[in-house]
Amino acid sequence: QAARGSGSGGAAAREARQQQGSFGELLLRMRGLPAALPTLPLELTVLYNSLLFTMGASDSAIEGEAEGIRQGLLRVLEACGACGQDLSTEELWQKVLQEVTAEELQAPLHRLGGLQAAWWLAAHRLGSTAGLFHLLSNAGDSGRACCTEGENELLSLLKAWRVPAEEASLPLVQRTEDLKGILCTAAAFLQGLQELEAGNFPAAFSLLQEAAGGFCSKRVLAQIYTCLSCCAQRMGKPQTALQHLKRALQVDFQCLPALSHAAAVYHELGETDAELQALALLYEALEKNPPAAASSSPYFLIRTELLVHTPLLATLLRHCHPSEVKYLLAQRCLQDGRVADAVEHYLDFLALLQEGLQQQVPLDGSSALPRIPEVFLEAASALEQAGRHQDAITMCEEVISRTTDLIPRMLRVEERLEQMECPSPGAGLAGGLLSQKKERLCCLAWRAAGYLHQGWAWAMLGESKEAVTQFSRGLGDLLRVQLYGSGVEPKENLLPEVEVLQKIRLLSLIGRGTQFLELGRHKEALLDFQHGLQISPGDPAAASYLVQALWKLDRKQEAAAHWQKFSQSPPGEDGQQEGRQGRPFPLYLASCLKQAVFPHSESLARSIQDYLGTRSRD
Amino acid sequence: MLLGEPEQFLSYNGEVLLFYLSKTKHVEEAADKTMNLCVRRMAFNRDTKLFVQKSSGVFKMHASHLKIEIICCSCTMDSRTGIILPCILMKKKQRNNVVKYLLLLLHSSNQFEQSFHFQLDYELKEDIRLFTGPSVLWRHANKLFYISSDTCTVQSAPVQLSSIVWTGEIEDEGTVVLGVKTACLPESEDEDEFPTSDRAIWGSEFFGYAIETQKMLTGTCFMPHAYSRVVSSVYVCKNEMLKKQLRISLVAITVKNQLVWFQDGLPKGVCELPYEKPCSVKTAVTSSNDLLFIVSFASGNVGVVQRRDSLQVASKWQKVKSVLVDDFIGSGSEQLLLLFKDDSNTDMLSTFKITDLGPVSYASGINYKHDASAAEGLQENGLLTVQALETRLQAGCTSVRELQQHLGLKKRVILESCRALIDLVEERSHILPTAKEEGLVSLWDDVENPPHSLSKETSLASKVPEHFIEKLWQRVVGDSLVVGVKLAESFYLSLSDVSLSLVMDQDFSSISPIIECRNKIMKLNKAFSALSVSSCEIEPPQKKMKLDLHSKNDLKKEFPKRCSRVQLDGAKTVIAVTSLSPLLAFHRVCCIVLLHAKKQKRRNDSLQESKKITVLCGKILLSLEDISNGKYSVKMLRDNSYCTGSMEDILAVLAVSLRFSFQIVSSDCTLTPINSWLLGEMECTPFKECHDNIFCHKAGNVYGTVFNWTLKNPFEGVLTLFCRNLTVLFQCLHSLFGVLPPSCDVKLLRSGSKGVLTEQLALALEKEMLALRSSFFSKESKAENSLTWGSEPSKKIIDAPVASLLDSEEGVQQFRKKLQNEQQESVLSMNQTVNGALYQETALKVVEAQLSSDMIVWRLS
Repeated sequence: QAARGSGSGGAAAREARQQQGSFGELLLRMRGLPAALPTLPLELTVLYNSLLFTMGASDSAIEGEAEGIRQGLLRVLEACGACGQDLSTEELWQKVLQEVTAEELQAPLHRLGGLQAAWWLAAHRLGSTAGLFHLLSNAGDSGRACCTEGENELLSLLKAWRVPAEEASLPLVQRTEDLKGILCTAAAFLQGLQELEAGNFPAAFSLLQEAAGGFCSKRVLAQIYTCLSCCAQRMGKPQTALQHLKRALQVDFQCLPALSHAAAVYHELGETDAELQALALLYEALEKNPPAAASSSPYFLIRTELLVHTPLLATLLRHCHPSEVKYLLAQRCLQDGRVADAVEHYLDFLALLQEGLQQQVPLDGSSALPRIPEVFLEAASALEQAGRHQDAITMCEEVISRTTDLIPRMLRVEERLEQMECPSPGAGLAGGLLSQKKERLCCLAWRAAGYLHQGWAWAMLGESKEAVTQFSRGLGDLLRVQLYGSGVEPKENLLPEVEVLQKIRLLSLIGRGTQFLELGRHKEALLDFQHGLQISPGDPAAASYLVQALWKLDRKQEAAAHWQKFSQSPPGEDGQQEGRQGRPFPLYLASCLKQAVFPHSESLARSIQDYLGTRSRD
Repeated sequence: MLLGEPEQFLSYNGEVLLFYLSKTKHVEEAADKTMNLCVRRMAFNRDTKLFVQKSSGVFKMHASHLKIEIICCSCTMDSRTGIILPCILMKKKQRNNVVKYLLLLLHSSNQFEQSFHFQLDYELKEDIRLFTGPSVLWRHANKLFYISSDTCTVQSAPVQLSSIVWTGEIEDEGTVVLGVKTACLPESEDEDEFPTSDRAIWGSEFFGYAIETQKMLTGTCFMPHAYSRVVSSVYVCKNEMLKKQLRISLVAITVKNQLVWFQDGLPKGVCELPYEKPCSVKTAVTSSNDLLFIVSFASGNVGVVQRRDSLQVASKWQKVKSVLVDDFIGSGSEQLLLLFKDDSNTDMLSTFKITDLGPVSYASGINYKHDASAAEGLQENGLLTVQALETRLQAGCTSVRELQQHLGLKKRVILESCRALIDLVEERSHILPTAKEEGLVSLWDDVENPPHSLSKETSLASKVPEHFIEKLWQRVVGDSLVVGVKLAESFYLSLSDVSLSLVMDQDFSSISPIIECRNKIMKLNKAFSALSVSSCEIEPPQKKMKLDLHSKNDLKKEFPKRCSRVQLDGAKTVIAVTSLSPLLAFHRVCCIVLLHAKKQKRRNDSLQESKKITVLCGKILLSLEDISNGKYSVKMLRDNSYCTGSMEDILAVLAVSLRFSFQIVSSDCTLTPINSWLLGEMECTPFKECHDNIFCHKAGNVYGTVFNWTLKNPFEGVLTLFCRNLTVLFQCLHSLFGVLPPSCDVKLLRSGSKGVLTEQLALALEKEMLALRSSFFSKESKAENSLTWGSEPSKKIIDAPVASLLDSEEGVQQFRKKLQNEQQESVLSMNQTVNGALYQETALKVVEAQLSSDMIVWRLS
């Protein structure tokens, strides 16, 4: 009867599945007989091997499969004349380990216990696992106190577990020693991730280090190093983080998340060169071999990666999409003023988009990509800064034409934040309305920004009339928004969208004003600048232009008075890039902000001072 | 006519026979004294799809209906005629607890014939079977009884049995009863140990009993004894005698709800049954030539198991009153007739189903719940199909990905070509993208931080030692004498070619006073506290990014650092090993220990002059008493998790042992199993004095082996073994291979680690090249002084921009001309003569360089 299966270890997945089938068959036959102590070691060993194949053939430890272990324990009890049908698996283990004293059964039971621990670990039932190992270590040598203070209980229990030696007559498809090693690594890894999630970084760090010293595959080791680096980064140790990322890549270059983390660390350190290089490398690697599906090692049936599955790990190891990386490259170049590179990357990114939005852009929430019109506007901004004005105009035309049907004829918006964010109890509908309004505001902002860019581009090309037309169109669109609320008091809680809109309006007004100046229509220019100052009192560019316009209109006294007023008032925070509440303005406005800066402040100041000088002499 | 309560169904020749008891209606007869046994022959009409009664018969008996009962009916052979007839066993209770049994045969004329009768003082209850004869067989009080029409007397078999699982005909044996009895164990089985035979484990066994010959048959040709506790019923499908061996194939149903297929006494297939408590099994051969096993359950359910590749439940029904197998529709193959329980309908054979699980299916009056099963089998099939589909999908995915990659590549080539074309049109020279642009550039340099302790070393070296010999010691290990001289490090550094020699002090005129010995120079790293600071604590300083790989300075800086690490700390000990037993022949020996070396004197910086020196280190005294008392023996003790032994003991053991180094590289898994193997299976403990080396305490041959396991990175390490002999080495390796992850590559390192050797090889090759070049340069420069070739020797075509030359035809012509010139030049230069001495010198240098690099290559391979 003792048809014995000694499965060969080095089997491909298909063979493993076959083996699983035949082990299952064998087990069925053995269970067809009444349980008897002499045959139980063999039966439990067959069960162990069969479960190993089950796990090896699946991609993760499935809870249902652990039913086999329960069956095995019930058989043990049956042979001993006890029963435990209605006990939970934990209680069953307790009963079996405490009541069954047959020496021959200890080794197979311990092995099975190891497997049970694997299943429990995979299900994050650390308490059950620790309880089981308490039982297992007590069964062997009862006197030993396992847990020393400060050390991780589960890990020390696992390490203290004395693995039964393999018997020649009962061959195993995977050594229990290996199982123990895998359990230790998985337990440390899992707990490290839990601590990381809970924010206990030093504890997480030491647990993850423990895991990194354990038995695992290259892939898992690289993952552990990546997690270590995340932990170090959150502890404020970027250099340590970098070292761990380096190790991760040394171990397994396919661990591409490590590269994107490296880019993030460099970003944090402000090392733009290194960051861009890392991103470029990542993009190249992604392009060459798209993240392959987990190629499992055929040698081991039970592996660490089967046991460690947490949402946090999935987030940490999220595979970047090539398009995201491309965008990040473009954005970082633009932010850093590497305009030529930025243009290249933006165009590459848009080409990627052409190939198909669905395939190129991950649509889950964790994507680093902004809304596509913003990318277009950023690209236009880059093109403009690179001096490719005509291309910038085309790019903006795209945004404008796409948003034509989306913007409302008229939109009434509360200026203030509170009113909008604290809707009346009928929250759902109001929330929907709010988001719809916000969406419309966004569309409007994009469209207006498109005109703004076009205006500046025409201006750069020397086509002042065309530029004025574009600026005016933008301003016309902006008039569709009716802001209400008390406009008097300091606008502190402005909606971010509203703030952006106001900035665009200001920039458009300044832009149009400068073009009017170019055309010699000084009065209209003056009006625009005055409007601008109304929107944003104290804006240095608008103020300077206003002074210049007055000067050109030969209203020198007024100009001087204004100039004195502005130069005396404390220079508004230099942060032109930031809004009133410290929010940065969208990247696509950066170039316009730069263009709007008054260029001749020195000469204007000189001439006004001269004027004032002569007047005072007079 | 009143229906008797229990009906019995029997299929016979494609007809269904219904047996039942009824009282007679006729008043004139004593109603309560006469009972009628009635039979109705029912045949299936394919047109109406109903059973119709063909004929009927009655058998009158004198008894009260309370006292008469049909026990069972079956088709058995009438041994007088050899015809198989329906056979009914009746019971009639009489006074004084005596029970009378009647066996009736039903002839085709619907006449009953009483075959025989017998009386018992107990009631038949267990395992009653009718068989050829007709005969009756039963079990009572764990005994087997039988009676046949021939003898008409009750006989018993000489066997104690607990159940009968089958009765039937076996070739050459006649009627055989297969039963289960308590195992009778041979006395020899030891009580204390676990029994090993099946019958001993489960305490019961099968036996066969041939009725005619009254002979016991062994039960193992039916089934293993292990099944005797669980099998409840058996159906023997085939039995034959092959080479005087009974070959039997059968199916058995067990109380574990399994149907097991046995062939030649071994289980060949198992199938889980769909319901609890199976009670009987029979077979049917259907039109599609399938062999079906029909299992009836105590709960009134019926399951059908089909045997194809494996045993699978093909169908199942609930609330079945009876299931019969016969050719009811007259098609030539067998069908199942399922008679369902139906309380509402009193008409017999009204709710039934005839099926062969294939094309044949008739049903009547059933609003049955036919569990549309076969689902289980289907489910498995579905699973397999899904798996296959998954595999295909994955393969498809992979090929699509490959295609995409390929397309990407093509696109890049096309793009590049386009750019080239545009450049051509615009008359720009096209620059191909460099490899750096195309490939990957390493982000970080691989330079490791030098260990902090290094800086101390340089200062120590300059100090002049006062006592350059720190210690002289001796040990006896096995058959060897080990003599060690510990040198002060600073002194050692000024020496080269150090060796020891032992010279006998006494004057034995007959033999040479110099003792032959092997010399070794050893150094042990002192114990270091394992990683005193966790790397978590300290943020490392920012590393300078080395983005350009062209600066070679860093490489040069790195190299001496690595070299100096080899000479890190620890005093060196010079050790001489010699065979002990020849010395012991002298009983007491006094030896002088001499140290020979070349002392280097530093002059300037590079030039060194060495002087041979010989230093007297001291004397050692050897006597048999001391050795017997264990004065010089090595003491290694296990102390908690450490192995204590003096430095000298460790050195002595290492010096005597054979040393083998293995480079172990794992392609996928970390190498932690080796560490746990060393500490676990090999029971090793590290030396207290030097933690690097660990001592094996495992009892047996391998005891005393010293290991050194150094990990270069988690996937690569060097394992060094110091073992007594090759057998031990192989033992250790055998054990190690059981532990290594399967993807490991193990390589014997002849000397030195691979990394160091590779570096050395690179240096040697460089030296070789330099030797060649320098000699040729010297030759050429000499030659050039005396002779000039050609008109413009300095202009090489390689320097000229080739691309511009190749643009036009004239360019190509020009190019060709130049090439020809160069060729001529080189031909001329080939015929140079060289002076003999110079050639000799050159050849010697080159050969020396080649020799050294060859040596390293040999060691590396």
